[in-house]
Amino acid sequence: MSRALRLTVEAPEPLVVEIEPDDLGREDGHRPRGTVRALPLEPEDRARGALRREVVVDGWRFEVVVEDAARAALRERAGRLGGGPGRHQAQVVTAQIPGRVLRVEVAQGDPVEPGQRLLSIEAMKMENELRATVVGTVARVAVAPGETVERGQELVVIA
Amino acid sequence: MTARPERPFRRVLVANRGEIALRIIRACRELGVETVAVYSDADRAARHVRAADQAVRLGPAEAGASYLRAELLVDAALATGAQAIHPGYGFLSERPTFAEACTAAGLVFIGPEAVTLAGLGDKLAARRAASKVGVPVVPGTLEPAAVGDPMALAELVRTAERIGWPVLVKAAAGGGGRGMRRVERAADLATAIGSASHEAAAAFGDGTVYLERVVQDARHVEVQLLGDAQGTIVACGERDCSVQRRHQKLVEEAPAPGMSPDARRALHAHAVAVAQAVGLRNAATAEFLLQPDGAVWFLEVNARLQVEHGVTELVTGLDLVAEQLWIAAGRPLSPAVLAAAARAAEPDRHAVEVRLSAEDPGAAFAPRPGTITAWREPGGPGVRVDGWVEPGTVVTSDYDPLLAKILTVAADRPAALARMARALDEVEVGGLQTTLPFDRWLLAEPAFRSAQLSIDLVDRLWQPQLLREAAARAAARLAAAASAMPEAAAASAMPVTAASAHPSGAASPASRQDGGSLWDTGAWRLAGRRAATREWPA
Repeated sequence: MSRALRLTVEAPEPLVVEIEPDDLGREDGHRPRGTVRALPLEPEDRARGALRREVVVDGWRFEVVVEDAARAALRERAGRLGGGPGRHQAQVVTAQIPGRVLRVEVAQGDPVEPGQRLLSIEAMKMENELRATVVGTVARVAVAPGETVERGQELVVIA
Repeated sequence: MTARPERPFRRVLVANRGEIALRIIRACRELGVETVAVYSDADRAARHVRAADQAVRLGPAEAGASYLRAELLVDAALATGAQAIHPGYGFLSERPTFAEACTAAGLVFIGPEAVTLAGLGDKLAARRAASKVGVPVVPGTLEPAAVGDPMALAELVRTAERIGWPVLVKAAAGGGGRGMRRVERAADLATAIGSASHEAAAAFGDGTVYLERVVQDARHVEVQLLGDAQGTIVACGERDCSVQRRHQKLVEEAPAPGMSPDARRALHAHAVAVAQAVGLRNAATAEFLLQPDGAVWFLEVNARLQVEHGVTELVTGLDLVAEQLWIAAGRPLSPAVLAAAARAAEPDRHAVEVRLSAEDPGAAFAPRPGTITAWREPGGPGVRVDGWVEPGTVVTSDYDPLLAKILTVAADRPAALARMARALDEVEVGGLQTTLPFDRWLLAEPAFRSAQLSIDLVDRLWQPQLLREAAARAAARLAAAASAMPEAAAASAMPVTAASAHPSGAASPASRQDGGSLWDTGAWRLAGRRAATREWPA
């Protein structure tokens, strides 16, 4: 008897699936071409007892977190009982690539609309404009022109 | 009869980085020319540095503090006793001031003369020159657009109304889509001019921009030119570079499919006419838009070696870098070049190039810097790879995201494309997202296969979401399969396909790294082995 795995494919829209390893052999059809490599664990992975894999399929690269499905379900129930943070509609704009801030076009307290330019970042010689995706007010501007930013760094928070 | 020199130069400094630096070093090595590489701190351990006979540090990673500093490059050439500088493409390759600085220091600049660079590299001047010799240019402005002047802006809006929306704001010193903006309506023109000008100033040190009409349904076709110091200028065939996004080329091929020999000869003649008008020497490329009705419009001349020069080399059998070196050393165009030019309208081979870049084709080709953890290049008949990365290479956001150019050549286009599809199947990259999914899709795309090319092909047809979602589901299954047998998964970088994977009995470095936390129960290990046995019978 095998235990189900929970696989979280970290993509722009994360995919979470549970698979019984025993079932894998029964599926026919498309046989994807891919490679699987072990990745170093993130602190969060350690806490969950999870593994992290790089999977490249048809050239698409994913990071996949593999954990025991039963353990993941337990953790989630515990999280709900503990009362996690409430949902909020804030947009936290983060740098998708490392680069340099060229312009900041909003200030704290400014009202913004979806599509409105917030700031532009220069990376790999291209100027990238970042725009709001929600209606709201600028709660925080975390960077200034000329500043170098790392991937994932918080730039602007809209509340 | 004078004795021919054995080699064009004794020592050449390569003022570039990445794949093109390596490409130039390879040509030099074959000619017996010693090479001097230059590098920024980010490239200290790069392949081009190791491939050269010696290397000189320029400065910090930022291009403005290293590869764009003309005086450092000239000093490095003088200090190492180099006789000539090859600028590659990008960086300082088309700066007249750099060519002048080389000449003033007694160094040979391997490229067109400074005055020609000024004439050809300034796209506005090139437009005027082409127009003067009767070569049709894309409708637009012939003078610089004033940035931040309301009066001038009103005039520009009137001009745009006259030539017709949408228009392109283009950098006079630009290339590769940098400093270029498409503008649909008058209200957006001022912002676009400002932003294009800023980007152009940052990338090229010159913020001059101009307007050009967007030509609909056009193909991008360009002609390879070579000219010697004696004034002979020839065309060595054309390339189709219509597969682009944001005006950056993704895939190129030679010859341009579907052109008759007469149409080719006419196109090549236009290119040579422009080059003659500005006194071209060495290598350059004339770019044109080709409309479905056969009309051609001159766009600009890139007064340097192009990224995609390799497809022309594969079709003609020439080594364009070697020819550049001989031309710079004062030799007339070689018999091989003249023969290739004579055959240029009736090529007997087809070559295609894919630019493999560190970009996410599922996110509008956004750059994805990172560290290469695995790298396998394709091989076999008719395959050429011009790259620079290897496992451990850190691809930074300081430079172009180009990792490698993969080229294939065959007797005709279908065979060259089939060969490319096969070559791409052999590519393996770990550590960062590349353009590979796009390239694989393109080779199966009916419009591309049937050569229904236009520069909006990618925008019209590339819809990555479903492809990526399917791949994500497959990734989950592959990860599950690999994780169900820890020993096998541990063989880092082991290819896993449902058909070919075999569990390996090897000890497991990765599970040690993983801490083995998932595999703590004996039952789990047992289940994993059973699953593995069923799926991969011995």
